[in-house]
Amino acid sequence: MKPDALAAEIVIIGAGPAGMAAAVRLASAGRRPVVFDMNATPGGQIYRQLSAPQVSDTVMGKDYMRGRELIEAFTHADIDYRPGSRVWWADNNTSGTTLGVLEKGQTQHWQARQLILAGGAMERGWPFRGWQLPGVMNAGAAQILLKQGALIPSSPPVLAGSGPLLYLLAWQYLRAGTPPSLILDVAPAKRYGEVIRQSRRAWFGRSYLLKGARMIAALRRAGVPIHQGITALEAYGDEAVESIRYHHRGQWKTHSTELLLTHFGVTPEPQLARSLGLEHVWHASQQSFVPQRDDSLAAGTNVWIAGDGGGIGGAINAEREGQLAALAVLGKIGEVDPAWQQEMPALLKARRRDLEARSLLESLFRLPEDWLDGQPEDTLVCRCESVSRGELDLAIAQGGAGPNQLKAFTRCGMGPCQGRQCGESVTRLLAQRLDWTPEAVGYYHIRPPVHSITLGELATKE
Amino acid sequence: MRRDFLIVGGGVVGMAVAYGLARAGLSVTVLDESDDALRASRGNAGLVWVQGKGLGMPRYAELSLEAAKAWTDFAKELTERTGIDLEYEQQGGVDLCFDAGEARTRQKEYTTLQNASPFLTQEFRWEYLDRKALMPYLPGLGETVQGGTWSPHDGQCNPLYLLRALYAACHSLGVETHPASPVERLEATSSGFRATTPQGHFDAERVILAAGLGARKLAPMLGLSDAVHPVRGQILVTERRPPGARLPTPQIRQTATGGYLIGDTHEDSGLDKGVTLAMMQSLAEKAVRIYPDLDAARLVRSWGALRVMTPDGNPLYEASTSHPGAYNINCHSGITLAAFHAGGLSDAIRDDRLVQTYPQFSGARFHVQAT
Amino acid sequence: MFKRLDASSTSVRHVQIWLDGEPHSVPDTLTVAAAVLQLRGWQGYRRHVDGSPRAPLCMMGACQECLITIDGRANRQGCLEPVVEGMRIERQGGGSHEA
Repeated sequence: MKPDALAAEIVIIGAGPAGMAAAVRLASAGRRPVVFDMNATPGGQIYRQLSAPQVSDTVMGKDYMRGRELIEAFTHADIDYRPGSRVWWADNNTSGTTLGVLEKGQTQHWQARQLILAGGAMERGWPFRGWQLPGVMNAGAAQILLKQGALIPSSPPVLAGSGPLLYLLAWQYLRAGTPPSLILDVAPAKRYGEVIRQSRRAWFGRSYLLKGARMIAALRRAGVPIHQGITALEAYGDEAVESIRYHHRGQWKTHSTELLLTHFGVTPEPQLARSLGLEHVWHASQQSFVPQRDDSLAAGTNVWIAGDGGGIGGAINAEREGQLAALAVLGKIGEVDPAWQQEMPALLKARRRDLEARSLLESLFRLPEDWLDGQPEDTLVCRCESVSRGELDLAIAQGGAGPNQLKAFTRCGMGPCQGRQCGESVTRLLAQRLDWTPEAVGYYHIRPPVHSITLGELATKE
Repeated sequence: MRRDFLIVGGGVVGMAVAYGLARAGLSVTVLDESDDALRASRGNAGLVWVQGKGLGMPRYAELSLEAAKAWTDFAKELTERTGIDLEYEQQGGVDLCFDAGEARTRQKEYTTLQNASPFLTQEFRWEYLDRKALMPYLPGLGETVQGGTWSPHDGQCNPLYLLRALYAACHSLGVETHPASPVERLEATSSGFRATTPQGHFDAERVILAAGLGARKLAPMLGLSDAVHPVRGQILVTERRPPGARLPTPQIRQTATGGYLIGDTHEDSGLDKGVTLAMMQSLAEKAVRIYPDLDAARLVRSWGALRVMTPDGNPLYEASTSHPGAYNINCHSGITLAAFHAGGLSDAIRDDRLVQTYPQFSGARFHVQAT
Repeated sequence: MFKRLDASSTSVRHVQIWLDGEPHSVPDTLTVAAAVLQLRGWQGYRRHVDGSPRAPLCMMGACQECLITIDGRANRQGCLEPVVEGMRIERQGGGSHEA
């Protein structure tokens, strides 16, 4: 017997700042949304474990602690919150969206009339030689360990890549008493000056700039070497990382370390939006695909996307977008309250300013689009199926003239991560080789399951 | 430079014919759609399969049998040319029966087919085996499976590597392929044919349509049959599992890389190649029914693909009477038939004796029905 | 290796888990992958289908590098499963057919 679909008026996927804010706003209007989230506690990645913090404010900094209020409101509101649940299937139809949800080992079907996707972002997969070795981790992953269990590296790590998180984590480790042995920044030093001279954006983004400058100054004072403008990075070791090599000011340098934490920016988690067939466009400044949304954050019929899943805007913007999406949903279901309508313009205005400030960071931490070109041929692009850049180039030359043809020819993107780590690298590589735009190249077809599920879990039991 | 042939369609059918013609020294240009096209070539299960083919048309059964026999050399030749291993195996296959009624019907059909021609009587080998007798072929087979028909002719390959090898081999033989060049118009010119695409015109002396469902739009422009329709199939793939030493079946097979490929659904869904929750669940149930040990296997991928079906399900090999030099190749089972398409079929097109050599497969059978 | 920050004064409940047959007491806020990184580090975490050593990359459910056997079920995403009292965890060090 197949279970009947459970009905929900409003479903929110994700309990980070966007999802929580949307849920709280809907609850305050008397609605009771269903919230699915993969984690055991609310907060998403940014406010992970903040409901029972493991590390003091002095180590984590203000930005983390700021989420407390929202978590408090979320926890006390009347919301059908389902932690530890995974939406592995979604399909849009005339009456809303059908969802396949795995909760406690059981598959449930849900029929959502209105859907808010608040799935957030993920760290960008950015191939370099040796990135598959144990001892290479995303900086965000290391920060998750810090939030989850006050875990810090037992010996000083190297931090490398580009983006604010790199310096934030380095600063947090410094406060925790284990500063990194080395920071390698892809952004050249002169870019900081160039960006600051763009006065309008610099003004909107001044808080970002100040925060960053303070952290960098603190790290320098503590004697942490910071090399800006590195042009290549490689990790070496047999069973795990033993040393790294990097290219800086025209020279290769070697450094011994057992832990390399990298960060190359974040991109929207694409799987649910892609599997729903929503339109995507290439965001040149954010250097990734983003789902197409209108001003009300609608991305399809009865589907809204709030927060970093719709384009990277950060936690505060995500919270605003959550409120905006909630108001849009309320408007859609006929709950038009003049008081709410008054909220909209202020939210939209704040959002515009915030995104403008954000573009400052995008310029500052811009990654070289031709990075993969400079990588040795044996650099893995697809970690799941161990497909190298050289193998992809051969297959492109043989007629693999699109992400899906290339996937067919090489298995690149066919593994369990479903292309999350290699998808945009493949788009980039094809764009370069064919001299097409990333949009013309396109992206993998994403089909369910967007999260791991066994045949037994999928098969309905009599 | 003038080309001998334009081929419309860069799937496994078009590329096999392109390969056969190029190998014979002819110049070929292939025009293909974008990466987002329907592409049955990338969605099929990779069976090189004889069982069940041509039940209503013995000549098709003969052709499938001949193609399967030619596959060993065909795969070897492609690997030698390109270095690409097609993961081809021909160790026999089993078509499962889930109840006694299905088993009876199957045996009756195969007996009838075997008696339909002297060639089939002599060459088509098969045997019905009950569950116990199947166990050595399909270790771990579930208790509720009735039995199945075994045939030594059946096998499997990696259809994606076949497509890739055909591309690589074609390129090494000078075939030009143009991706993202969907053909909008086909017409006869004073010296041959012209295809119009958003990327410009392409001219050649003769033209072959191998456009799958695209024939519905393009075939009538050259007096060819547009009688094809989509039949959707959905497929699930599991994570890699230890080698199970299990023969392939149309219901489920383990690929060379270890994943199980599950699916034999037939649905009329128009041009929607999505997957449905109900069908995925029923496939998962069936897979666990066949091999209970797959209960804990993780699903890693799923997709829907559209089979290309002629009205009688048999291949269409058609030469235009109104536009001599224009041909239409359209069929399901492009993987099994690839060895034939690259061989006997492309030879017949090269010599312009398609209808004389393969009269049973011409478009006339559909025109007759239409009048 | 990762270690718990000494200065972390937060009181936390511990659960007992079994890692490769040995009992350990770990904070209950950890996921399986985090617990393994604290107890054993990244070396020896997992061997990939191609034989190469691998360890968690993203810790947020995206990369599938943290696959591990939990209570007899292989290839679970260690970064998504919170530790639970009595849980039996085995690293997948030798298998050649893990996903």
